[in-house]
Amino acid sequence: MRHVVPQVTRPETKPLTEPVLLILTSLAGQPRHGYALLKDIEGLSGGRVRLSTGTLFGALRRLLEDGWIERFEQEDTSRQKQAYRLTAAGRKQLQLELDRMKQLTRAGFARLRASEAV
Amino acid sequence: MKQAYKFLLLLYPRGHRDQFAEEMTSVFEEARNERHYQGWTWYVRFSFAEITGLIAGATGCWFGKRPTPEAAIANGPESTLPQELVEAQRRVDWNIAGMVQAIANHQYERARIHSDEERQARENLRLLQKKYGITG
Repeated sequence: MRHVVPQVTRPETKPLTEPVLLILTSLAGQPRHGYALLKDIEGLSGGRVRLSTGTLFGALRRLLEDGWIERFEQEDTSRQKQAYRLTAAGRKQLQLELDRMKQLTRAGFARLRASEAV
Repeated sequence: MKQAYKFLLLLYPRGHRDQFAEEMTSVFEEARNERHYQGWTWYVRFSFAEITGLIAGATGCWFGKRPTPEAAIANGPESTLPQELVEAQRRVDWNIAGMVQAIANHQYERARIHSDEERQARENLRLLQKKYGITG
């Protein structure tokens, strides 16, 4: 029996979770398979974040369903080593999130400077 | 540990398993093999993180924000499905949910019973799908 799951779209302004943000950032550079993603995310976060496979593939499944990433056929692609890459929609979501964070960072620093000046 | 990992993958919905189980096992093994020399404390931390990650991931799959299979059945065009087919699917879902809960509470014997019942329920569902000419 095939379950019919209605497409659920996320509001564009909703902040991304940290694993999702890290996955999208990692894939922004180049397509990667699961283990390469884990390693790159660990490096991106300065060793602070090491995703478990359960967290990683849960996030990958949702991103595939949302159409933010897609499977990428490589010569050595097997069921055990699928590569993923960002779609145009995923790139746009990452850009929106980074813009939001940039805006927040600016506001935060501005308030810190203002409070130090007092 | 690999056997335990594969057992815990049974907590996930079948669709997720079909799509990711082999890949998840492969990534898990790569991660484990690369750093096994870091000692048993690392291995314990790694194993704990993987087990909790799998339980959380499976729970998210079943009870996350996405519509549940039951809701999808109730809301979708399949709401016209024969009642016994809907019940059979519910039986499968109920046993998997029970398995997730039992493992989260470290009740492994109960989890095994749910696992056995889930297999029977899934077989029953398969036979009903065949009876009604529905492909899984």
